[in-house]
Amino acid sequence: MERTKANLSDNLTGTPQTANRHLEERLATTKYPARTGSSQGVCENGIPLSTVPDSWKEERTRSLEDNEMSLPSLAAAYTTILRGLGEDPERQGLLKTPWRAATAMQYFTKGYQEKITDVLNDAIFDEDHDEMVIVKDIDMFSMCEHHLVPFIGKVHIGYLPNKRVLGLSKLARIVEIYSRRLQVQERLTKQIAVAITEALKPAGVGVVIEATYLSHVYGYAWSSEDEQQDSDQHNAWSVP
Amino acid sequence: MQCHKATAEVNGLCNMKKVADLCSVNGFSEAALDKKKHNKPDEVALSAMEEAYSTILRGLGENTERQGLKSTPGRAARAMQFFTKGYRETVQDVLNDAVFDEDHDEMVIVKDIEMFSLCEHHLVPFFGKVHIGYLPNQKIVGLSKLARVVEIYSRRLQVQERLTKQIAIAIVEALKPAGVAVIVEAEHMCMVMRGVQKKNSRTITSAMLGVFREDPKTREEFLSLIKS
Repeated sequence: MERTKANLSDNLTGTPQTANRHLEERLATTKYPARTGSSQGVCENGIPLSTVPDSWKEERTRSLEDNEMSLPSLAAAYTTILRGLGEDPERQGLLKTPWRAATAMQYFTKGYQEKITDVLNDAIFDEDHDEMVIVKDIDMFSMCEHHLVPFIGKVHIGYLPNKRVLGLSKLARIVEIYSRRLQVQERLTKQIAVAITEALKPAGVGVVIEATYLSHVYGYAWSSEDEQQDSDQHNAWSVP
Repeated sequence: MQCHKATAEVNGLCNMKKVADLCSVNGFSEAALDKKKHNKPDEVALSAMEEAYSTILRGLGENTERQGLKSTPGRAARAMQFFTKGYRETVQDVLNDAVFDEDHDEMVIVKDIEMFSLCEHHLVPFFGKVHIGYLPNQKIVGLSKLARVVEIYSRRLQVQERLTKQIAIAIVEALKPAGVAVIVEAEHMCMVMRGVQKKNSRTITSAMLGVFREDPKTREEFLSLIKS
């Protein structure tokens, strides 16, 4: 692609790192406090930052042992919810529902148990390829952190390699790790883009997510006074 | 509580009962009758549910103090109450005024009614379409009321088989028609997002009562009309 090659030669001034200078500056100035810390960081305006962790260096916040330990309290919480809805937790169809729902919710948030470095470390290859690489129609299933209702959709990822390419299925795995969490679509898009950027230092990354919010589809959103999110596209582009 | 007994009966309903047997006042479809007293969601229940959701968030390893999650327990509890608002509604409220006498004895079909429900096993959504057909016997019902009946029964913790049957029996009890057919076609997020993870699979259940069960030609007419 002639256009892309021309852009590259304009921006490269020798070393691969400088091609991402623009992005590195942006990453350096945006401070993301640790997720589990109690202090909330603030940006320059004094507005508190949401706790978006630094993706590449983040620790796992959950282990399989944690899952087992917290399962009884999750199940008890779900029993309370069933009673609160007016249902009878003792009837046959609902008898094991608290356990099933708790396990399901742990599965829907299993992204907290995984780290990007585990997935990516072996699958980065040196390749002299400087044309766009696109993986599209990656199915995405996530949980809205505001209502705890699923939102589902597709992720399209494109990147322009800079001497390093990534195993293609790893892009889908990155999507899995970040989407299997309590998420906001904007943050999900950004986390995917930043993870690929930090791993590959490419010339550019583009991520598009289109999703449908089941809280909208279920008609709930129109009756609530909370902040609305439409099922539109949220883009994250990082190009020099 | 009587409503608990009714819901227990719901689970054990035999499939072979004929239409006439199922026409009873406190029957299958009126399992929510006692709930009518609790039209306003209970405030005590709401705060208990909020506590429960906070516990769940902490149990998942999240930080409940962060900005995005601060009001989530309240929002999730209210959302869950909305998704189960069918417990507080009865078919009587919805249908009583819209049943009309009409000398029409051909099939009436309302198809592609959107349905959104919650799986009672995993508390995860399932959604799809409902197709309803009935053969009137001197009485017809306002068409939107069929969609409202679907709403009442789908906004509960459900199992697709039971949902299909409840819709069919509600129409039988209200109209006493010659026959009712209900088909529900849904995608279950509990199968798509977890477990076996099959994205394009759909579950289809049907309830055929009266003439639709006994006469294959009527059933076939219904099935071909909803396909077109």
